[in-house]
Amino acid sequence: MAGTSVLDDIELIIEDIGGGGKPPAGGDGGDAGGGGRRAPGNSSARKYAIAIALGMVAILVFFMAIAAAFLVLRTSNPEWKSVPVPALLWMNTIALLCSSGTLELARKRLGAADERGFKKLWLLTTLLGIAFVAGQVVAWRQLVAAGVYGSVSQGAAFFYVFTAAHAVHLMGGICALLYVGLRKFGAAAVTRLAAAEVTSYYWHFMDALWVFLLALLFLGK
Amino acid sequence: MKELNNRSEDEAVGRARGAFGGIFSAEHKTVGLRFLWLALLSVVIGMTLSLFMRVQLSHQAGGSLTVPSTPDRYAAITLLHGSLMVFFVLTAAPQCGFGYFLIPLQIGAREMAFPRLSGVSFWMTAAALAGITASVFFTPAAGATIWLLGVVCFSIGMVLAALNLSVTVMEQRARGMTMPRLPITVWAWFLTAILSLLIFSVLSASSVLLLSDRLAGTHFFGVAPQFSVSATSIWQRWFWFFAQAEVYVAMLPCFGIVTHLLSIYSRRPVWSERLAVLALCAVGLFGFCIWGEHMFASGLNPYTPLVFAMLASSLGAPSVLLLICWFGTLWGGAIRLTTAMLFALGFVSLFLSGGLSGIFLARSEFAGSSTADALVTGHFHLVMGVAATFAILAGLFFWFPKMFGRRLNETLGKIHFWLTFAGVYVLFMTMHWLGLLDRASSVSAAAAIHGLRTFLTFVAVATISAQILFFVNFFWSLRRGEPCHAKNPWRATTLEWSVASPPPSENFRGGVPVVFRGAYELGVPLAGEDFVPQHVGPEELAKLR
Repeated sequence: MAGTSVLDDIELIIEDIGGGGKPPAGGDGGDAGGGGRRAPGNSSARKYAIAIALGMVAILVFFMAIAAAFLVLRTSNPEWKSVPVPALLWMNTIALLCSSGTLELARKRLGAADERGFKKLWLLTTLLGIAFVAGQVVAWRQLVAAGVYGSVSQGAAFFYVFTAAHAVHLMGGICALLYVGLRKFGAAAVTRLAAAEVTSYYWHFMDALWVFLLALLFLGK
Repeated sequence: MKELNNRSEDEAVGRARGAFGGIFSAEHKTVGLRFLWLALLSVVIGMTLSLFMRVQLSHQAGGSLTVPSTPDRYAAITLLHGSLMVFFVLTAAPQCGFGYFLIPLQIGAREMAFPRLSGVSFWMTAAALAGITASVFFTPAAGATIWLLGVVCFSIGMVLAALNLSVTVMEQRARGMTMPRLPITVWAWFLTAILSLLIFSVLSASSVLLLSDRLAGTHFFGVAPQFSVSATSIWQRWFWFFAQAEVYVAMLPCFGIVTHLLSIYSRRPVWSERLAVLALCAVGLFGFCIWGEHMFASGLNPYTPLVFAMLASSLGAPSVLLLICWFGTLWGGAIRLTTAMLFALGFVSLFLSGGLSGIFLARSEFAGSSTADALVTGHFHLVMGVAATFAILAGLFFWFPKMFGRRLNETLGKIHFWLTFAGVYVLFMTMHWLGLLDRASSVSAAAAIHGLRTFLTFVAVATISAQILFFVNFFWSLRRGEPCHAKNPWRATTLEWSVASPPPSENFRGGVPVVFRGAYELGVPLAGEDFVPQHVGPEELAKLR
């Protein structure tokens, strides 16, 4: 830090969870082992976790910007026409919530070294996620058949944008599920367990986001 | 465990090289240089467009158009000029160009956290440049849609880059490189990455809705017979929430670069380094709070302009802190006026003088009644456009030896600096005056305005012509410049100067260094030198004493 003298070598070490950390007193460093604050093997998993966390923040801001516009227009437009939430959306929601449950069970199986059990539950999670997206597409088709297009009203437009944007982001989660389920992790820098954990953060986030969006659309009638 | 750690880093370096060789290389130095090349191309196109705009403006008062143009075409050229300069020069170059090249070197990492993301973010930015540039050749309706698609592409690219840069700073630092020991440049890139994550998400959201209006027939923003409420003010709010914070995305890396250079070239530590970092954080935070200062004439709630005016004026506080840090760093230093230092000092001058007009523009009653566009144009060009460009040029002159193993010509550089410095002051200070005159309604004012517009065109042509010196210097030095085999020609303290010039592909041959001290141990007499590099350990230090 500026102002520290070379002789005194006053170090202001802030306990940091990331890289860095005070070198050993002997001045040895570089690739010499030992003395780290955390197991080096975990550094790859943690960077993915941090990346997912930051990505979730960015996605949240994206949806909150649209939600803010929804709320402003909902309250200021006297001719607002809401879209009745199709009954299928509730079924889709149940499927998504169940997929979060099966994902957690799958992770527990993996932690207990039950590879077969993990694969079955992970596959079930993936299928539930695909079922959710398919259900959303069916719901859109039902609305279009009933004459509810995005151009009909701002309420309908927001409905389609919210559900479509969420579905697009969820498909990213499905890709992650497939990657974790199908990839061979033998030579990888992260373990399957760590990859599953990071994927679970994103999947549960998508789950919670959908519940919020559904509440917004339902209560916004 | 050591093998796991090394294997993970080897995999990162290997992935960066890429299975497809050069064109899809995701190696951080290659990606950084590509961003700088992209910025160079954009600035050439942007300056050419500004010449067209100036010729148009200086002739329109005469009532005839000497340059073939229509109002739509002029608006498209203005949009393209602004998009290229703000997105691809001021955002991509200081943050992604320098950031990608230097962050791993300065923190002691062999590669970025996610090398593939480096490549993806670059190609998305390149695609955005192609789309945004092509949009001007279409009809206004189609062009606007293509422009929006380019903006969405750019936003996603910047979010990915921000993710990559921030995780790299958090997770890839060498042993001993704690957050307080980070160079202030890395702090600035890190804070800018966090800011970018947030604001480009908002821009993406607003662009997606506008695209939905244009392509899917929705009516989020348009006024249709069945809607009595227009959402124009929502677009304004979104856009300015993004755009005002975007100013600081452009400026924060420049603050970091200039602070760093002032320290190196005055051979003094950064004055109150922690205060400088806090000031950077405050500037970033304030940037989120003052979008309303662009909406004083939009019919906001009557009390709102008061709030935004006070918040905008408060931005002066962290700005003054930064100025104090800079002057405190320079005070009593053994200043060496290299071209890089001249550009850094030029940045300070432009930031100060351009920022002073910002204090007046922050007042809602002043902005609404006393000024026309030219004063605002002069203000943001001085304080953001040209100042940031000076910081980029300072960084280029400083790190050119590290990047290319050669030096830029100092004589040509200094001549280029003085011509540009004089030119931009004459150009944009005159524009401030023009902005005040535009509000006057007298006949003599009209004659003066016409004369000033013509004068500005000549000055713009002269200043842009002076940039030829830089291009000649740059391209000639790339091939024939004085070789710089020394690792550390500027006697700097940070880690990038501990490796060869240009650096090897894995950055640190023979092992990643360990960091023992902060980044600004300057003015410390040691073994005939006046600095102690970050990586010199206690044993080596004892031998040198």
